[in-house]
Amino acid sequence: MDISSVQKLCIHLISSAVQRCRLSEDLCRLSVVLKSSPPIIRVSISDTGTGSCLEEFQDLKCNREGIGTEKWGISDNKIYHYHLNLRGSVSARRLTRLPSIPKNDAKFSGTEMLILKIPSVAAELLIERGDASGLQCENVFLPNECSPSNFSSSNVERLKSGLEEYVLKHRNSLNNKCDSCFCSRGKLKISSGVACSMESHRSPGLIVEAVIAISELSESLCFRSSGNKTEVLHFKDFSPSSVSIASLNALTSIDWRSYGLTLVSAVDQVDHALIEWENLPPYLHIDMVIHCYHKQYPTPCSTIQILVITYPGKYKYQPDRHLIRKGVKLALDDLKEKHTGLLLSAHAVKICSYAPDLASSIAGIILSSNDLKFRSKCSSLLELSQSQEIGKQTVEDRIKEKIISVIETNDRKPEKIKEAAPFLFEDDRLQDLDPADLYLEEHEGGDDVFSFPD
Amino acid sequence: MEGIRSSTRSRDLLRKIKEFTLSILEALSEGRSPLIFIQSFRTYCTNLDSICSCRSNKPSGHEILTFQKESHVHRIDVLLRVLLIVQQLLQENKHASKRDIYYMHPLIFSDQSVVDRAINDICILLQCSRHNLNVVSVGNGLVMGWLRFFEAGRKFDCINSPNTVRMGEWPIQFLCLLRMLKVTNKYLVSAALYILVVEKESVFQRLENDKFCSKNRCIVITGRGYPGVPTRRFLRLLMDKLSLPVYCLVDCDPYGFDILATYRFGSMQMAYDAKFLRVPQIQWLGAFPSDSENYDLPKQCLLPLTIEDKRKTEAMLQRCYLHQEVPDWRSELELMLQRGTKFEIEALSVHSLSFLSEVYIPSKIQEIKSICQV
Repeated sequence: MDISSVQKLCIHLISSAVQRCRLSEDLCRLSVVLKSSPPIIRVSISDTGTGSCLEEFQDLKCNREGIGTEKWGISDNKIYHYHLNLRGSVSARRLTRLPSIPKNDAKFSGTEMLILKIPSVAAELLIERGDASGLQCENVFLPNECSPSNFSSSNVERLKSGLEEYVLKHRNSLNNKCDSCFCSRGKLKISSGVACSMESHRSPGLIVEAVIAISELSESLCFRSSGNKTEVLHFKDFSPSSVSIASLNALTSIDWRSYGLTLVSAVDQVDHALIEWENLPPYLHIDMVIHCYHKQYPTPCSTIQILVITYPGKYKYQPDRHLIRKGVKLALDDLKEKHTGLLLSAHAVKICSYAPDLASSIAGIILSSNDLKFRSKCSSLLELSQSQEIGKQTVEDRIKEKIISVIETNDRKPEKIKEAAPFLFEDDRLQDLDPADLYLEEHEGGDDVFSFPD
Repeated sequence: MEGIRSSTRSRDLLRKIKEFTLSILEALSEGRSPLIFIQSFRTYCTNLDSICSCRSNKPSGHEILTFQKESHVHRIDVLLRVLLIVQQLLQENKHASKRDIYYMHPLIFSDQSVVDRAINDICILLQCSRHNLNVVSVGNGLVMGWLRFFEAGRKFDCINSPNTVRMGEWPIQFLCLLRMLKVTNKYLVSAALYILVVEKESVFQRLENDKFCSKNRCIVITGRGYPGVPTRRFLRLLMDKLSLPVYCLVDCDPYGFDILATYRFGSMQMAYDAKFLRVPQIQWLGAFPSDSENYDLPKQCLLPLTIEDKRKTEAMLQRCYLHQEVPDWRSELELMLQRGTKFEIEALSVHSLSFLSEVYIPSKIQEIKSICQV
């Protein structure tokens, strides 16, 4: 593994620690201690998970320029403490950010860690500043801070609650949920999809979990760095991962138009993919996370191998784009299913634009009829009270509502069901006809064009 | 269909409109997309291998309009707009032309043909003819001869009407515009021996000039090209009420033939109503390709068929009704294609201006009569 920045190294170390905790299947404590004694900042990561071995770190290559480690030792003792000392130049830069460090650090530990929430792990962040004040702050992250997730919840449920928390905290730039943006629950809509590949002699059986969160921040005053571009976080085997080509392919090959979205680009930003949309309303924000893992991802009995995972060469370990796409599409379909009007396809939006006209004509037919019995029957079908005089607008609005709801329901059905039925008996008349005949037929009935004045 | 009193029919149609509206509301209230079944009709097919059912007046299939396709939704939108107008016309017993309807929402309708299709869809849905919807079109055809009829309280005297006298000294030949609304049996009087349908107004004028009707005791009608619905309904009415032989004189070219076929079999566009519009008894008087020799037409009167003419002819040869009902017509059409030439009726005037009325038409009618007697 090539480590090119302090942040990445920390993430790597922390996620390794989380893995150990996860595999212990017992209550664990994970500590990240930042000790500041200018010009050096010391990051210490410790956990009470299962034991690790030295091989874990043998493959870890540190880019000297990026990190500039002076020395860092591994004390392979029983409490598994790893220390990382950073050289002055880099630490100085980190030190300048100190006033906001509680947040920033929550971001780097929280961003990635809390999304994969493991209920049995309590994480803490300790910052010791070696300046005159001797300030020490402590921050313990509890996994069930925002929404309760218990020991029995599935991986995808935990991923979901993790992303939810991440979004509510503005991509973890806040310590707590942003109350001004998410004052009501309806502003955040979140769904997940799980796609599995069959276990076979060629493939070990992979699982792709995708979680998508859509937030509507109508009058948000909060600053968000990436505008309304979408960050797609990637995890592999319960650790943050880089963006695979398969994943980028999957993201670009999804028919976003059927969800009313127009993709401009999906680019690899190393630790996440960044999707740019066309004409996405400024108040709409989409966040996504994709987690791919092996169906039989190492269980506690094989703890020693976990972090140096090797799969037999015959296994195609990378999930292909089809599986990733399936997972993302399932999540999108789930969102569409649960929230009326959300992610309406471009096609459905177009059809909905006819609703006012259709409603106006139908209302016209009802209200201009001189048959009172017919009118009252219509009113009752539209669930309008018959006692008072009903205005055209009321009738029109009610019909429009119903038409739009039908179109939205239709849009949620899978393509196949939608297409099949109505065209079983489609007429082939026009194919039979000579085009020249059709042209003439047009003129045949159009006798008014040359009509005489009355 | 003609026998039903119009008020009863209007009530019946209004009831159907209400049922249709209720069916839409029911679907919507159950959260379904309404399914609008539109039967499709055709006057012919090009499937010559098997026995088709084009002549049965039964639908050849149907389309189902739903909210799923944009083209369908647009069609439903237009249909409902026109239906609203039709409902008002029927309730108030008023009439409007297709063009009037077009101008009520020209931006939405975008083209007259869009309105025409909606009107056809409504006729099919409500199982009626266009005029039943109180949608009328101004007649484009002309009639002259031994005929008198009343319509909408007005008397149309094609024999004695002083205001339609064109040729002062010949009060028998007259011209009147076909204005078709409601013509019933008791208001139709004629002493004619046959009806002659001519394709073009120029031929109609020629016959008028030659006092053809008075000399031959007949009725002459022209639809001025492709006949509109009023002309065909009028001809059909004359046929049904007077039971006279009907002859048809068209140019010897693919368009003339197609016009002849339209009179006899109906048009594809109005296929749903063809059973009320076609005149199966119509007989082809001419001009036939062989007439160019039989009547000594000089070479310069024969024009070569264009590529478009040939294409149209080849397509027409595929129509099932020609195979099944008039193989002799089809042979003539094939002959036209083989020769690769066409000519207009007026070419027969090369011999003399009155050749058409004095020689050609009488000889052709005689020919048909003798064949019938055999």
